[in-house]
Amino acid sequence: MSSVSLAFDGLRRRFGRVRALEPASGRVAAGETLVVTGANGSGKSTLLRCLAGLLAPDAGTIEHLEAGSTLSPSERRARIGFVAPDLAFYDELSAGENLEFFAKLRGLPVARAGELLDRVGLPADRAAGALSSGMRQRLRWAWALLARPRALLLDEPFQNLDAEGEGTVRSLLGEHLESGGLAILASPIGLEVSGAVSHLELGR
Amino acid sequence: MPSPTSSWVASAQAVFTKDWRCELRSRYALNAIALFAVTTLVVTSAALGPAGTNKSLAINVLPAMLWLILLFAAAAGLPRAFVHEEESHTAIALRLAAPPSALFVGKLAFGVSLLLAIEALVAPLYLAVMSLEVASPGLLVIALLGGGYGLAAGSVLIAALASQARGRSTLFSVLAFPVLMPLLLLAIELTRNAVAGDAAGPALPQLLLYDGSVTIAGLMLFPAVWNP
Amino acid sequence: MTRTISLGLRALLWLVMSTCIWGAFFYAWSDPAFVGQSSRILFFHVPMAWTSFVAYFAAAVWSARYLWGGRQMRHDRAAAAAVECGVLFGVLATVTGSLWARIEWGAYWNWDPRQTSIVVVLLFYGAYLALRSAMADREIRARISSVYALIALVVTPFFYFIVPRITESLHPEPVLNKEAKLDVDPRMFQVLIASALTYSILFFWIHNLRARTQALADAREDEPS
Repeated sequence: MSSVSLAFDGLRRRFGRVRALEPASGRVAAGETLVVTGANGSGKSTLLRCLAGLLAPDAGTIEHLEAGSTLSPSERRARIGFVAPDLAFYDELSAGENLEFFAKLRGLPVARAGELLDRVGLPADRAAGALSSGMRQRLRWAWALLARPRALLLDEPFQNLDAEGEGTVRSLLGEHLESGGLAILASPIGLEVSGAVSHLELGR
Repeated sequence: MPSPTSSWVASAQAVFTKDWRCELRSRYALNAIALFAVTTLVVTSAALGPAGTNKSLAINVLPAMLWLILLFAAAAGLPRAFVHEEESHTAIALRLAAPPSALFVGKLAFGVSLLLAIEALVAPLYLAVMSLEVASPGLLVIALLGGGYGLAAGSVLIAALASQARGRSTLFSVLAFPVLMPLLLLAIELTRNAVAGDAAGPALPQLLLYDGSVTIAGLMLFPAVWNP
Repeated sequence: MTRTISLGLRALLWLVMSTCIWGAFFYAWSDPAFVGQSSRILFFHVPMAWTSFVAYFAAAVWSARYLWGGRQMRHDRAAAAAVECGVLFGVLATVTGSLWARIEWGAYWNWDPRQTSIVVVLLFYGAYLALRSAMADREIRARISSVYALIALVVTPFFYFIVPRITESLHPEPVLNKEAKLDVDPRMFQVLIASALTYSILFFWIHNLRARTQALADAREDEPS
C-alpha cells in the first residue's frame, strides 16, 4: 500500500461577510487519525470541504501526498473518501443502483457496489429516497469506500447510526487505518477513536 | 485495466443512463417540457388559426413561432440537468466521483436526446395543427436536428452556470437568451427556407459552426464552472 | 496610482475633453449632408460606442486572465469594472445614436446592424451583472462570471454575420454609412480622432477608479473584526 500524508497550513475561508474558517493548520500521516472538534460554526465542515477540494480556501496551503507525489486539486477530489451529513444520493434509484452508478463513474467493477453494501449491511434494492437516516449514513460510508481511498475525510461519521451500524463502520475505519490509510474526523462532540490520534480544536 | 479513454466514455455513458433512468422514474422534466410545448402550441393555434394556407404567414411567422415554442420547452426542462443536482445535494457526490469532462458530455447527451424527443412530438403536431406545408422536409429535419442540438447544448452549459447561483430558474432565462439568440435566428432562417423550398444558404454552415463552438466552449469551460 | 499621476491625469482629461467639446461645436464644420447641426452628435456617439465595444473585449480578456492566470481577484475586479463602464458608455451611445437616427432617418430604431450590435452587447452586459448579483461568495462569483464573459465572446461574432443578412432581407433599403463620409473632411476627422482618444482616457480613468474602490471595499471586508 502506497504511503499517504495530508498537511494543511493557514487555511481560511469566508462566505460573504461571515468568516467561516479562521486560520487552521495540521498534519496527518499514514495510519493516523486527526479529530477536529469545535463549537457549531467554528469551521469543521468548511475545513473538511477545503481539504476535499470542494471549496477553494481564501488563503493557506494543502499538501496531499500519495506514493511520494503531491496531488493536484482534481486528483485530491478523485482520491479521497468523504462522508458528510448533506451528502445525498438519487432518490429515484435504489441503494444498489446508486453505488453501481458511482462505481461506473469511477471506472470500478460494478461488483464493488454489492461488496460494500453487504459489508455495511444494506439491502441493495430499496429506493434511496426510502432509506431511514441511519441507513443513509451506512450508504454514505459504502460510497466513500468504493474506490479504496487512502485518505478519509469524515464529517460527523457516526451520526444516526445504531449500535450495530456504528460498530460496522468503526471496524471499517480500523481496517482502513491498519492498512496505512489516514483519517480526519470532525464532530461537535468528543469522539473515542482508537489508534494514533491527534486533536485539533477550532474556535473563534 | 481499461484504457483511460474507454473508461472516460463509460463515465459519460453512466451519467447519461443515470439521468434517463431517474427521468423515466420521476418524469419531471418530460412532463414540464411536454406541458409547456403543448400549451404554447395550443395558444399559437388558437391565436393564428390554421395559418399554413396564408403563404406570407407561413413563411414569415410560423417558423419563428415553432422555435419560440421549442425555446420555452427547453427553458422549462433542461436547466434541471444541473439545478436538480445542486438542490438535492447530489452534486457533492458527483464533484468527487465524476471526471468533469465526462460529466459534461453525459449531461449534454441527455439534454440533446431529451430535446430531440420533444421535437419529435412537437414538430409534427405543429405542422398538422397549423396546416403548414413544407416544401423541403429534408431541410426541415436538418434544421430541427442542428438547431435542436445547439439549443440543448447552449441550455445545458448555461444551466451549469445558473445552478451555482441563487434564483436559478429566472437567472437561467436571463443568461440563456443572449447566448441562444444566434442559434434561434439561424434555425428560424433554415426553417423558413425549408418551408419556402429555398436553398439552405449560408445559414446551415453557420448553424453547424455555432453548434461546434458552443460544444468546444462547454468542454473547455465546464471544469471551471463545476469545480473551484 | 500615485497622487501625482492621478492629478496629472485629471488635468489632462479636463484639457482634452474641453478641447473636444469646443472642437465638436466650433472647430468642425457641420456636415451639410446631415439635417441641421445633427452631425455634431457623432463626435460623442461614435467614440462612446467604440469604447463600449472595447470594454466588452477587455472584460473577456480579464476574465480569461482570472481563470488561467492564477485566480487573482484583481483580474476579476477589472473585468467587472470594465462591464460596468461598458454599460455606462453603451447606454449613452445607444441614446445618442437613436436620437440622431430619429433626426436623420425619421425613426428612433431600425435594427440597423450597428444598432443591433450595441443592443446585443448591452444584453450580455446586463446578463453578466445579473449573474454577479446572484452570487454572494466572492470566489464563485469571480469564477462563474468569468466563464460567462467568455461564452459571450464566443457567441457574439455570430451576430455580425447573421443579423445583417436578416435585416437586409426585411429592410431592403440600404443603410446609410455616414461615418465613411466624415473621414473626407480633415477637420471632422481630427475632432473624431481627438474625441476617440479622449473617451478612451475617460474610460481608463473611470475604470481605474471603479476597480480600486472595489479593491478597497474587498480589503475592508477582509479585515479581522
